[in-house]
Formats: sequence, C-alpha cells, structure tokens
Amino acid sequence: MATFELYRRSSIGMCLTETLDEMVSNGTLSPDLAIQVLVQFDKSMTEALETQVKSKVTVKGHLHTYRFCDNVWTFILQDATFKNEERQDQVGRVKIVACDSKLLTQ
Amino acid sequence: MANNVSSVYIHVVDDVVSKVRDEFINFGVGENVLNELQALWEMKMMQCGAISGTIERPPPAQKPAGPITPVHDLNVPYEGPTEEYETPTAEMLFPPTPLQTPIQTPLPGTDQSMYNIPTGPSDYAPSPTTDIRNGVDLKAGRPSPYMQPPSPWMSQRPLGVDVNVAYVEGRDEVDKGAPNQPMTQDFFMMSSGKRKRDDYSSQLTSGGYMPQQDGSGDAMIEFILPKNQAGVGKSMTACARDTATKILSKKETKTAPVLPQQDGVHDEYDDLFHFQGVATEDYNTPAEQVELRAATPAVGTPKPAKNEAAEDDEPPLNEDDDDEEDLDDLEHGEEEPSTQHLVLAQFDKVTRTKSRWKCTLKDGIMHLNNRDILFNKATGEFDF
Repeated sequence: MATFELYRRSSIGMCLTETLDEMVSNGTLSPDLAIQVLVQFDKSMTEALETQVKSKVTVKGHLHTYRFCDNVWTFILQDATFKNEERQDQVGRVKIVACDSKLLTQ
Repeated sequence: MANNVSSVYIHVVDDVVSKVRDEFINFGVGENVLNELQALWEMKMMQCGAISGTIERPPPAQKPAGPITPVHDLNVPYEGPTEEYETPTAEMLFPPTPLQTPIQTPLPGTDQSMYNIPTGPSDYAPSPTTDIRNGVDLKAGRPSPYMQPPSPWMSQRPLGVDVNVAYVEGRDEVDKGAPNQPMTQDFFMMSSGKRKRDDYSSQLTSGGYMPQQDGSGDAMIEFILPKNQAGVGKSMTACARDTATKILSKKETKTAPVLPQQDGVHDEYDDLFHFQGVATEDYNTPAEQVELRAATPAVGTPKPAKNEAAEDDEPPLNEDDDDEEDLDDLEHGEEEPSTQHLVLAQFDKVTRTKSRWKCTLKDGIMHLNNRDILFNKATGEFDF
C-alpha cells in the first residue's frame, strides 16, 4: 500500500529520520529496516491524524506562489493568518504542501 | 493544546514502535535496538520542542522550550545534512561510475597536485592513490574524500574532458575558491548554480580522471562529450562544453585545429548557467534551458551566440532583474529553516475564481512560530 511520505518532513518525521540515519550510519540498523520503520511511520501518522485530531483551522493570506505537480499542491502564502478554536497565528511567509487525499483511499 | 499535540505524537511513536517490533525480531536485530530507536527519537523530539516534558510516560526532565535544535530545512526530503546541499540539481543524478584515473600521466607543464581531489570509488576510506595525492599537495580547503556518506559518487566525473590542460588554466581559480568551500567541498557539483562558472569548471576538470596523453586527443574529447551528455545533467553539459572550449582554444595555438571552434567565450553562458543551477520558480526563458539540455554542442551553441548578437544590437532586456528578486526571496526562505513555517496536509478540493483561491484540507501538521499544531480539517482562502 502506498503511503504519503509528506509527514516525514514534519518535526516528528525529521526526528525519526535523523535517528534512523544515525543508527544506519553506525551500523546498528540495516537500511531496509529503517525504510520499513519510515513506512510504518507514514501509516501511523496518517491514521493518528484522522482519528485522534479533531480541530479545525482557517487560513487566510496572500497567495504568492502556487504549484500543482504530481498531484501535489504547493502554496506559498505571505502574511497569512491561521485561526483555530484556541489561538490565532500570524506568519510572514508559509509554505503549504498538500497531497491528494483521494490517492490514499483508492 | 500543546499537551494534546504531545500526546498524539507519543501515541504515534508507540504505535510505530509496536508495529515494527515484529519486523525487528524477524530481522534478528533484537529489541534493544528498537528501544534505542525509540529513546533517541523521543529525545530528539524533546530537543526540538515537539513534545513537552509533561506526559504520562516519565521522560527525562527537560525544559519543553529547551535549546531548540535548528530544524533542518523542511522543504526538502531529508537526505543528510541539508544545509550543505543546495537544491538538488542534476548533478545529484550523476550515474555513479566506477571509473577512476588508474595512472597519473602528467603532461608537461602540469602538476601532479591536480589529482589532489580523489576520484576513487571509496570516498571515505583513504585509498593508496588518494594518500599519495594528498601527500603531494595538500592545501587547506581541498575537497576531502571523507565527506558525507550519501554522496560517494559526487567527486567522480564521467566526463571525457582533458583535465590536464584546463586545470592549469583554472588552477589559480581553484586556489582562490578553496577557502570558499570548507563545508561544501564534495558538493561543488551540486552547488554549481551558486558558484561562479569558472570555479566550477576548474574543479570539474581537476576532479576528472581522464588523462590526456597528447594533444591529438582533442577530437576524441569532442566526441566523447555528446555521449556523456546523454547521461549527464544539463549543467555538466554546459561546463563540459566550456571546458572543451578551453581545450580547443589552447590547442589551436599549437597545432592545426582538429575541429573548428564552435563556441566563443560567452558572457551569456553565465546567466544561462545560473538558470540551470537554480531549480525553483524559474519563470524565465524555458526555451533556453531546454536548448542547453540538448545533447550536442552543435545544437546548443547557436542559441547563445544568437542572444549575444541580439544583445549587442539592442539594449539589454534585463530579463533577470525580477528573477533575482523571486529567487532571493525563495532562497532566503529556504536557508532559514527555523523560521520557515510549514503546513503538511492532504487536500480535498482546490478551486479558484479569478484571483480568489479556496481550498479544503484535512489531516495536517502545521509548524508555525516554532510550534506544532495538528488539524483534522482546514479551509483556506487566498488572494493571488
């Protein structure tokens, strides 16, 4: 089953990738196993986001760049505002990467 | 809220660990390794502030907002220390070739020190030849073979280029350029877009491994290049052609030209070369890029020559002015990973009406202002 590798770019994903890299570099772990761990991470992360998270967010901003390639949308916003139930964040510049949700359920 | 995010992350960690436990056992690696993995992972997450210290599972006492490890650039897939990489360019796609200069055949007027840059297949174990070379002439800042594991093929140049002659010309430039490369030595191939062409090509040639034994090898080289260009990235092509040009121009003074020189020294090439090096957001001159990617020099040269001629007659078009702004914007953004805010999600729908964009996203992780926020649904409205 194909997985979305995009969550590997998050903080938790990067920490995992770094850890796996270190362990593979010093020979503790084989690369195959490391890849399996990453694939499992993709699945677990996706599932956790679906089931464990319930919040809703709105985003507003100026769209500086948009790109749609390989079924992935990439937006670069400027002066964006992110609102959710608890707080509001303003950022000068943010990149949004979004994969097609329909690809997973096929 | 932060606690909530932490708890989700902890849940993910536990889930992953429990599901790979069987794999680890099957592989015969053992649970110790798995536990070590989990511990390291959690420790890193605490260091970068992804988890807070207050969770059911007793973590080692650390401040949640503790020293925040600079998060690597999240915009590219993690492939090792990304700060040392420029945007992966075609150089990364080099077919790793096992070829190596077996014999150093110094031409009159050249130095053995040019082979200082190792081209051996094993780049982090010193090979005997490498040692010799390093012993011959070890200058500060010379690319060393002991760089990052992911790129052992970086210093191998599959070009059939006369390295001896061209290197002499560019040698001074390499020396000047050496202090610039403390960290990026083995990656000068990849950072070609950022470097001066001269630095790049001279390093290129010095990293090459095809010794030219006599002057009549020029014809050979010209023909080798097209073959190699098929397998080689586009900026390599430009440089190879460039280096070939240098060879030709030098050789012509000694012997009757074997092949007519097709290129002059273009200034235009610098601009075009920059385009090739920088991958993103290049709204400009796509046609020229395609031209330069073409395999043979014959195809590529009329275009730059034409541009040069055009610019001589008319005022410069200044096409690059805005490009620089865009590129600087994006590059600076990507060079500041800690301030780069990022949202990773799945999209359900993206629509646009005139310049008003609307999208619905789901299941996302947001990293804003150094904190992580998760969402199940998001709606966006952007003005282009």
